[in-house]
Amino acid sequence: MQSAYIPGTSLLHRLHPLTKLAGAALVITAIYLLPWPLAPLVLFGGLLGLAYLSGVAGPFLRTALRVLLPITISLFLIQGLLFPPPSATPLPLGPITLRREGLVFAFVTSTRLLAFTGTLLLLLETTHPADLVFALTQRGLPSSIGYILLVALQIVPNMTARATDVLEAQRSRGLETQGGVRRVRALVPLVGPLIVGALVDVEERAMALESRAYTAPGPKTSLRELVDTFSQRVARWLMLLGIAALIAWRIVMAL
Amino acid sequence: MTPIIDIRSISFTYAIATSPALRDVSLTVPAGQICGVVGRAGAGKSTLCALCAGFIPSFYHGQFSGQAHIDGQDVVEKTVAELVNHVGLVGSNAFSQISGARFTVYEEIGFGLENLGVPRPEIIERIKWALKAMQLDELRDRSPYELSGGQQQRLVLAATLAMRPPVLVLDEPTAQLDPPTTAYLADLLRDLARQGTTILFAEHRLEWTADLAERVLVLDEGQVIDDGPPETVLAKQELLDRGIGWPRPALIAARARATGHWPAERPLPVTLDALVAGLRESGPPTTDHSLLITDNRAPSDGSISKDVHLSSPEAQHISQTTVVGRRSPALSDGSPEVPPGLVEGRSRRVEGSIVDIDNVRFSYPSGVEALRGVSLQIGAGERIALLGRNGAGKSTLLRHTNGLLQPSSGQVLVAGTDTRKTTVARCAHHVGIVFQDIRNQLFARSVRDELRFGPRNLGYPASQVEALVEQSMAALGLTQFADTHPYDLPPALRRLVAVGAVLAMNTDVLVLDEPTAGLDNPSIALLKTLAQDLAAHGKSIVVVSHDLDFCFEALHRVILMQSGQITLDSSWSRLDAQTLTTLENDVGLPLALRAARALATPADSALGLLLARNE
Repeated sequence: MQSAYIPGTSLLHRLHPLTKLAGAALVITAIYLLPWPLAPLVLFGGLLGLAYLSGVAGPFLRTALRVLLPITISLFLIQGLLFPPPSATPLPLGPITLRREGLVFAFVTSTRLLAFTGTLLLLLETTHPADLVFALTQRGLPSSIGYILLVALQIVPNMTARATDVLEAQRSRGLETQGGVRRVRALVPLVGPLIVGALVDVEERAMALESRAYTAPGPKTSLRELVDTFSQRVARWLMLLGIAALIAWRIVMAL
Repeated sequence: MTPIIDIRSISFTYAIATSPALRDVSLTVPAGQICGVVGRAGAGKSTLCALCAGFIPSFYHGQFSGQAHIDGQDVVEKTVAELVNHVGLVGSNAFSQISGARFTVYEEIGFGLENLGVPRPEIIERIKWALKAMQLDELRDRSPYELSGGQQQRLVLAATLAMRPPVLVLDEPTAQLDPPTTAYLADLLRDLARQGTTILFAEHRLEWTADLAERVLVLDEGQVIDDGPPETVLAKQELLDRGIGWPRPALIAARARATGHWPAERPLPVTLDALVAGLRESGPPTTDHSLLITDNRAPSDGSISKDVHLSSPEAQHISQTTVVGRRSPALSDGSPEVPPGLVEGRSRRVEGSIVDIDNVRFSYPSGVEALRGVSLQIGAGERIALLGRNGAGKSTLLRHTNGLLQPSSGQVLVAGTDTRKTTVARCAHHVGIVFQDIRNQLFARSVRDELRFGPRNLGYPASQVEALVEQSMAALGLTQFADTHPYDLPPALRRLVAVGAVLAMNTDVLVLDEPTAGLDNPSIALLKTLAQDLAAHGKSIVVVSHDLDFCFEALHRVILMQSGQITLDSSWSRLDAQTLTTLENDVGLPLALRAARALATPADSALGLLLARNE
């Protein structure tokens, strides 16, 4: 769980995190509620364009494909071959028979997933996690939860680095790490120091947080500054209205 | 005027402990005073620090009596958060004091100020001041977790200083700092004190303490046994008797007194300046060396645990058979007799090197070239100090001695085998490394189990594993803790456990990365004895350390690395004016050599020899 943030100064980077969050919510609602099968794909195209304008198109595409390609392939195979109702339209393809409804289902699901992932990815790639958490705590997210989110972002990469160091230390003590059975035996000396070390850190870190006035009563200030504008506030309200409208429209349609 | 630190008859016993950590401790410190606290590991120094910052009894539970006020606040009644405007504590383990919630050094320093609700413009101003004060400007945009131990220590200090507490409590502030930073910190703290900050610090480095503190409190077994100015407190016989030790200037002057270079009526000095001034008064150095010449390669006698190490006949046997050069532990199991040709065998081994590093270059995947043509032979019976600044390539070089890293070009032979053609586990028969961060090493439930791990991996038969473990525990004074969980030991002893765990592997070369960090005098003395005993048995020790005094006193050969190259490789006794300057400019000099330089004493004069006698 490493921060996906890519530093930049584009318009998207400079927007208030809540504006981006509202935008993301609107896009995700649209992905699932717009009735046209091609809608998610069109929305993803739009996201890709935004990513390009924000200078993050490369990592955006790479990550999206790396996450979704395996899922998409297996969705098409499984749903195409095994879509349940026997009445489904058969589409013979050489020795195998695919089913049309299965393929449609797979297409809809995977394009929705693609657009959904793309939305979150674009949000995280253009928003510093500390800004996002800060914006949320300003709006009432308990600061302890904000802290946990931020710590997780830093501690996990740190644990990976420590795991490497543990491996070095134990190999230096003659631990053979190549070979199957030995690997299992090596688990305790490799995982043990990580866990014990982390547990010992917890108390010291709690003390350190106290020393840094983390639990001090009274209002806190922030070094980070978030620029919010009137137009952004209006935009946020409009986007929330848009979400409500979409939902209302679909309910009316369903009646 | 009321004292800013006012502690009255404090006693405290930790909830799980059987004996008190503090017994009837009273201490009053006026504002602006610098008060040092010395004592062995476990004497109660850290407990006193924690008490002053309000962590007792709110964080550490236990039996408590007495009263304590800091800056007018009752530290027993108030919470830590309520006290942060009055007192700031910097603990000895920098890593765990980083908040984890800030992504850059710059923001980390501001974390406490944000929590206090300090207005943003003032936060920025104070961060700038703290960055400058702790020389962190170049690192301001780095992640706190990417920093070295010493840099993290500076960061935590900066973050605490930025909160501007009127009382600053520091628990072993120099444990992870290099000599230039250590000296700089003393200046900085003096400045703060001049501006009114009261400073209480616990420290093992007695020279540094003597230099900085206006007043020294000596703790032993939780009790205040002495309290006064450093020059009267730190050179008392009682400190030697209790194993706390003396600052080095006092030790050197005591030796000078024994040889007539220091008048008996003159008090022993505790600072370098006082030592140099005193020696100057004693007149020109004599040229009669005969009494003073000592071979500093020979193991010293009368050292603390000489009789403990290698005491049992069985242990003696193990250590000696390996000297002959046994490579496979299984082979020698059936031949307990020590061959008569042992001594010859030993001297032959001195010629061939155990680790042979030949013109090695190494680049990390990031493209950084960490080693740029390094050649180094580690023979038998060597005691090597590997010195250099952060980033000079020491860690990278260490990782080449057992195949953890393999050269981009050039060759590393361990016991004659190219590290490219073998495994780290096989190299571990010959080279054992104890890394600086010992948390990465310890995992077992008892000290004994921890020590068994290495020799078992190497395939020693069970009986021999036990003998090696016992021998190793004895050498490091750990026998009484054999069944204790390593994490139930104080940090200093925990480090010895990590050393013992690798020592028990009975390798030809023992490599230690910053072994003296946070150790008290008795533990450091154990390591010195260990270095000498290993060398006497034909084994080698390589130490990477900022502790130049330890390197000078325990080790013989000194190697300096600068930007990926070895720029100096000599014995301490053969350093001339030019090489001393090189060393001084890069990493500093041991106190004794600084004294010799200050006196401009030629190295071959009697006084020069006296100062340079590194035992």
